[in-house]
Amino acid sequence: MSTLTISVGPQHPGSGHFRLIVTLDGDRIVDAIPDPGYVHRGEEKLAEYRNYIQNIPHFERMGLHDANNMMFAYVNAVEHLMDLKVPERADYIRVIMAELNRLIAHLYYTAITGIFVGHSTMFMWPVGDRELFIDLAQMIAGQRVSYAFILPGGVRNDMPEEVKKKAEKACDYFEKRLVEYDKLLMNNPLFERRAKGVGILTKQDAIRLGVVGPALRASGVKFDVRRNDPYSVYDRLDFDIPVSNDGDTWARVWVHMEEMKQSMRIIRQALKQIPTGPVKVNLRGQVRVPPGESFGRAEASRGEISYYLVSDGGRFPYRLRVITPSFRNMIAMPYVLKGMVLADMPPSYWSLDYWPVEADR
Amino acid sequence: MSFVNKVLVAIGSGLKHVFLVKRFTLRYPQQRSVLYGDGYKYDPKEGVGIAGYRGRHILFTDKCTGCSLCFIMCQGISTAIEMIHLENIQVPVNKKSNFPQIDYTKCVYCGFCVDACPFYALVESNEYEIDAYDRESLIFTPEQLAIPPKTPKGTYDIEYEGGAHHRA
Repeated sequence: MSTLTISVGPQHPGSGHFRLIVTLDGDRIVDAIPDPGYVHRGEEKLAEYRNYIQNIPHFERMGLHDANNMMFAYVNAVEHLMDLKVPERADYIRVIMAELNRLIAHLYYTAITGIFVGHSTMFMWPVGDRELFIDLAQMIAGQRVSYAFILPGGVRNDMPEEVKKKAEKACDYFEKRLVEYDKLLMNNPLFERRAKGVGILTKQDAIRLGVVGPALRASGVKFDVRRNDPYSVYDRLDFDIPVSNDGDTWARVWVHMEEMKQSMRIIRQALKQIPTGPVKVNLRGQVRVPPGESFGRAEASRGEISYYLVSDGGRFPYRLRVITPSFRNMIAMPYVLKGMVLADMPPSYWSLDYWPVEADR
Repeated sequence: MSFVNKVLVAIGSGLKHVFLVKRFTLRYPQQRSVLYGDGYKYDPKEGVGIAGYRGRHILFTDKCTGCSLCFIMCQGISTAIEMIHLENIQVPVNKKSNFPQIDYTKCVYCGFCVDACPFYALVESNEYEIDAYDRESLIFTPEQLAIPPKTPKGTYDIEYEGGAHHRA
């Protein structure tokens, strides 16, 4: 048997600079080995020379359209060590921003899924609808993508009251759009034939490999940090965790679609429950963290992100370890891609929601 | 539903938008989206910011004491701020006449320099159109930062009835 080894990447095969070494037998993929590291920036080492506020814009750049969720786990770790209780309004604003980020990131995911199966309309629509939520996030946080918004002690500024009305309208509008997405992509037989039964990740494999996030839930494991280890005010909000037992490409896209509905549910509830009051603890001067170790985690749009913080009481963290969801999902790639034809590789590769910048950090 | 039926439904849902639904693309230089507020500000007494867009900075040279706190904060983020000495601006609170100069090729608009200023001297404005033909023009001196930008007000907001579109 003669095989052919080709290199997919490292010049931007899908979502960033990353190489996939694919061995082919005819048109079938025999082996696919991920080769990461092209966008490694040494964020963990950089963190050791920056104080707790200066680290925020740096860590955001791991997942730019998921910036708020990247920081959520970081502030969880820092506040746990400082033994700091943030005001309730700040908690709700954080949750609203986190869910807006989840919508923005999932819409981007849907768009790229569309373009990878050769469906240009499905690329244009989500990118257009994404603007609605970017507008909302911009109103709250003052920036389109890199918010630098949540920080130890609360959030940077109060949420304008106009957001409530605008968010309700945007959610009403987007719920109608999701029905159209179902017609155009999810129930489209052309997509079903490309995605159903392709790139199956079994439940056993998903657990054994430590896959997280939507890819894990699509394989039939009901695990979500927001529910299993509630942080912030997620324990007061009512939402479902979509789970599929198929574990194929279609199921992974479906989980993202369902999560967008749940995110809107959370935003609506949070906007109703949000109390008035202060949004930040006035820490006065530099953030000082007492010596000790702490672990903070959060459910980012791609899965669980966790920070392990060691502080020696100084201005800078002694050590800050980050484990990102993309890094944990990368190992599933050979299992997902083995056995399929090469033309199915791009949508199946992307369905794991792999983001090289986040994985290499 | 059969295969053909489902394909027709998919095509129909797309075709509907060609004729019926208004689109929400902005014709940018003529139309602008509305930005909330008039720039990000910070209240050092309360310790919270005031919501607004984080664009180009405005420096109030009469309040700036040259304490370099914005410069120290920026050193760990993007090294965009540099303190320069100016002879022509004489302010009683700023004896040494040191003012921040911002390099917009490096600035990431995180706004932590605004948070670091305890004298209400640095705020951010709605201006987002910072462009030039060379890199040197993007380095804003304190005199340039002191001039508030003249950004045309946004006139178009998103309307959601009958599909999202922009209302005149």
